Amino acid sequence: MTVGKARSRSMSVRVRQACATFPFLPALVILAVLFILNGMFNANSVSFQGISGLFSTYLGLVFLAVGQTYVIYAGDIDLSAGAILSLVNVVIITLMNRYDGGVLSTLMIMSIGVFVGAACGLFNGLIIAGLRLQAIVASFASSIFFTGVALYVLPVAGMPAPMIYWQTYFGSIFGIPFVFFVLGVLLLLVFLLSRTQAILHLLTVGDDQQAAYQSGLPVTRIRIRGYVVCGVFASFAAFCLTGDTASGDPLVGSAMTLSSVAAAVLGGSMLSGGFGTALGSVFGALTIGLIGSLVYFVGTPASWQNLVQGLAILVALMVGILISRRT
Amino acid sequence: MPYLNHVAGFLMSKLVLDNVSKSYGPTRAFKNGDFALQSGEVHALMGTNGSGKSTLCKIIAGSVKPDTGSIFLNDCRVQINSPKDARRLGIGTFFQELSLAKNRSVAENIFISHLPLNNYVFIDKTALEMNAEYYIDMVRDVAGDDFTAKAVVGDLRADQQQLVEILKTIATEAQVLIFDEPTSALDRSQVERFFEILRKLKAQGRAIIFISHRMDEIFEISDQLTVIRDGAIVASRKREATTAQEVISLMVGEQTDLADPTSTSHDVSPISDGQFVVTAHDLTGDGFSEVSFEVRAGEILGFGGLHGQGQSAVLRALFGANAITRGQIQVAGDNYDGRTPRAAIRNGFAYVSGNRVRDGVIQGRSIFENTIPVHAFKKHMLLSTPSRLSRRAFEALNKLATKYHSLSSSIGSLSGGNQQKVVIARWLMDTPRVLLLDDPTKGIDLSAKADLFALIRELASEGLGIILYSSEDAELLNNSDRILVFNSGRAVRELSGENRTRFNLYDAAYEVAQ
Repeated sequence: MTVGKARSRSMSVRVRQACATFPFLPALVILAVLFILNGMFNANSVSFQGISGLFSTYLGLVFLAVGQTYVIYAGDIDLSAGAILSLVNVVIITLMNRYDGGVLSTLMIMSIGVFVGAACGLFNGLIIAGLRLQAIVASFASSIFFTGVALYVLPVAGMPAPMIYWQTYFGSIFGIPFVFFVLGVLLLLVFLLSRTQAILHLLTVGDDQQAAYQSGLPVTRIRIRGYVVCGVFASFAAFCLTGDTASGDPLVGSAMTLSSVAAAVLGGSMLSGGFGTALGSVFGALTIGLIGSLVYFVGTPASWQNLVQGLAILVALMVGILISRRT
Repeated sequence: MPYLNHVAGFLMSKLVLDNVSKSYGPTRAFKNGDFALQSGEVHALMGTNGSGKSTLCKIIAGSVKPDTGSIFLNDCRVQINSPKDARRLGIGTFFQELSLAKNRSVAENIFISHLPLNNYVFIDKTALEMNAEYYIDMVRDVAGDDFTAKAVVGDLRADQQQLVEILKTIATEAQVLIFDEPTSALDRSQVERFFEILRKLKAQGRAIIFISHRMDEIFEISDQLTVIRDGAIVASRKREATTAQEVISLMVGEQTDLADPTSTSHDVSPISDGQFVVTAHDLTGDGFSEVSFEVRAGEILGFGGLHGQGQSAVLRALFGANAITRGQIQVAGDNYDGRTPRAAIRNGFAYVSGNRVRDGVIQGRSIFENTIPVHAFKKHMLLSTPSRLSRRAFEALNKLATKYHSLSSSIGSLSGGNQQKVVIARWLMDTPRVLLLDDPTKGIDLSAKADLFALIRELASEGLGIILYSSEDAELLNNSDRILVFNSGRAVRELSGENRTRFNLYDAAYEVAQ
């Protein structure tokens, strides 16, 4: 009896230590459980095709969540991430329709998209870190502003993406779906970024802003940089979403903003800043995706789907906390 | 510049402050700051609470910008507008409140402002850890086994975190080093190691400023002692040419603002024949250890010493807001083991804090709502009529001569002094047994302070036991019947009767810990 107790205690200590080293572990466990559940209710969903379908649908959210994570690292938040995504979506769709054609012009237009995302992030950083406005309210306001610009660029949803664009997104190279290459690039990017001074500085600022300032770090510049990185990732998210929906929609991203925050928290990041991993946010975003499809596969009536989905996300949050803070 | 004339070789100094001053609104935190720091010396700064020694350090460290005067480094005039500027100029600072990122590793913290990089972008982890090991080696055998380059700072003990901050300061390899209370959490072997390091740095020609509240340490390590009083440098002495007694006399100066300690207003007149209202025995918790005292009915017991030596922590612990790990409390002779504010209130404790925003005022609500909550809680009220409660609230507020427009006005419409009176009135609606005053006059104007202390004395004469902590020494010395002096979380000396002088207060405050 006492031996069992002692063993379970040392077990829980080990679990906690593992979670401190790898904050994304609870998210990974939840993701695995959801994956198995999905397979039980719909065998197709765990097939190669099912998985690549999952990625093509949720890669947008994954990118957005990763971008959001870097802002959260510094103890900030970006409630305009979804609006930036919408704006980049309509900008590239409009441009691609005007200059339709080759690979080169598409790549050019995509780099304009990245520029738009970075500019929006810079705008956020300047008003929030530069003018010291409250991050929640200021980025909420700028989200309305960005949405306004998006509606000016494309007033009505529905302009189609050129065929070459979405065919590439859904296509395969050497038999491997294109979205897996995108995912690979994302993971490489996350890995490389995690080793940079810039990301460590974001975490240090989020840990204790006063301490970072006294250590001689340029706190304002570091926070602005976080918002710019988030804006760039929002534009990457827009590329994926444009591939998935194959059309322009000035309001497409607004519902994804809070999902990106939830994904970061599910992935083990602290909203107060200073702690978290971008990899965890990847798992968190996929968790939200899998919950959505599971609710559907289980056969929840349409009118109950939101309710069940919301409860399921709450449960996932609680399980994550129970795993990582078990005493 | 009377002081500069005393300093030989002024032009050869490493760092010189010429006529530097700093004001916060109407209060001058620092004035007439002529200060010279030499290469290869450890220069101790000493002063009472609020004397300006921290302001002086912050000016050099770049976190406070002076209003006037100039700073010379190596005989060149420099501007230090931010900690970043200070770092660039070769000034490294140990911050008393520590400048560490709790979720990051020891190595990352030591080098956060100058990380070794590959290709200007990626952190060179191998180099980072190797460089960290070099500095960790300096303290390895006194720091404990878990003190490694990879250890997360937040998991370390307080003394280990302080060592990280020390290594971080040294790793700047700056020519001017400022250490503001670097030894407060260290044990003896760690202090000795730190002093060995300081001596080496001194031999390399670094200029070092050192602040400590342990007199023995100051006399052990420093070459030069500079005393600051009321924001002005009053004396600078070679260590050999002075004594602890002289330094303390210089720190406290003439005691013009103090009442005669033998005067009658301080008569201890215990109402109930010296019966103890509260007895604490060996209280230990976060920030204080083995504190024992007793408070009689009708007495004001003062908690004194330098800021943050455990005075507030003990008061909050008595009130149940901080944890107590060891020790006993008796209230009116009976054992008391309540450890929450609710239990404390039910047992007759009242707590008034100088931090009104956090602990006192209910922001944005009316004066009425700010007056009644404790009464409602003690009487287990679920429902009551406003008219009856208003009458009680009205009486309590009037007793303290609180100035307000109407009970329904917002608490924010009152001055700080009157807000504090509302908070005190809250506790007096049902007479408490013990009143805990945690720096109650912070941010209150002078006349309101006098009113408050008259009131506190009156409450004592009605038979309450009162414990008063004040960050202003004059307040403490003028209003306490006995004073318990704190140093590093311990009550080191009790002053009563004629011994309640500023000199004795600081003599005890700088006493050797333990």
